[in-house]
Amino acid sequence: MKNVFMYTLSTCPWCRKTKKYFTDHNIPFKYVDYDLATEQEQQKIEQEMTKRGGQLSFPWVLIGDDLVVGWNPAKYDELLALSKTS
Amino acid sequence: MMNVEARKRSLRYFFARVVDSLGYKFTPDEELADFLLEQETGLEQKHGSPFCPCQGLTQNHEANMKIVCPCIPFHREHFDYMKRCWCGLFVHKDVTDPDSLPQIPYADFRKATDAGGSGESR
Repeated sequence: MKNVFMYTLSTCPWCRKTKKYFTDHNIPFKYVDYDLATEQEQQKIEQEMTKRGGQLSFPWVLIGDDLVVGWNPAKYDELLALSKTS
Repeated sequence: MMNVEARKRSLRYFFARVVDSLGYKFTPDEELADFLLEQETGLEQKHGSPFCPCQGLTQNHEANMKIVCPCIPFHREHFDYMKRCWCGLFVHKDVTDPDSLPQIPYADFRKATDAGGSGESR
């Protein structure tokens, strides 16, 4: 199974939905709430997100090496199905 | 101490007037709208302005000003393409089913529209 990691905001309902999606599918994930991180951590996160061509739009979800920005359960399904066969 | 419910009503009144002229309305999903307004009220108390609850604040003041709600004018082409703003508080006036509108990341929007030098940036 691919590793799942996400950057989220504690204020964002779509981030909450995303966490619930992975919880409901029994898929372990790690996350960092950007807004609750230290200033130093926020700067590192900002650099990582913008380096990958994005803006600071959340949720920001890495499934394996694939990046999905935004609440997109169809894409999560697709990438997880791929991961199940690998 | 700010009265949160009163501030939410005030923001709702102010925002409705602003977004109407932009071709948008509040999402018909009342639960979502209430949650987002509550978050914005909290962000306003903490940071001074009702920032978008789904976009991150940085040390760049100018960039932060582009995510003060309603931030539609700063992301017009992108949001018009999605028929919603990023957090979903506002949708195009013709939208009746907001759940059918996906969040499309800016990079994908740019690829899809092949906008070249146009479009907003933070």
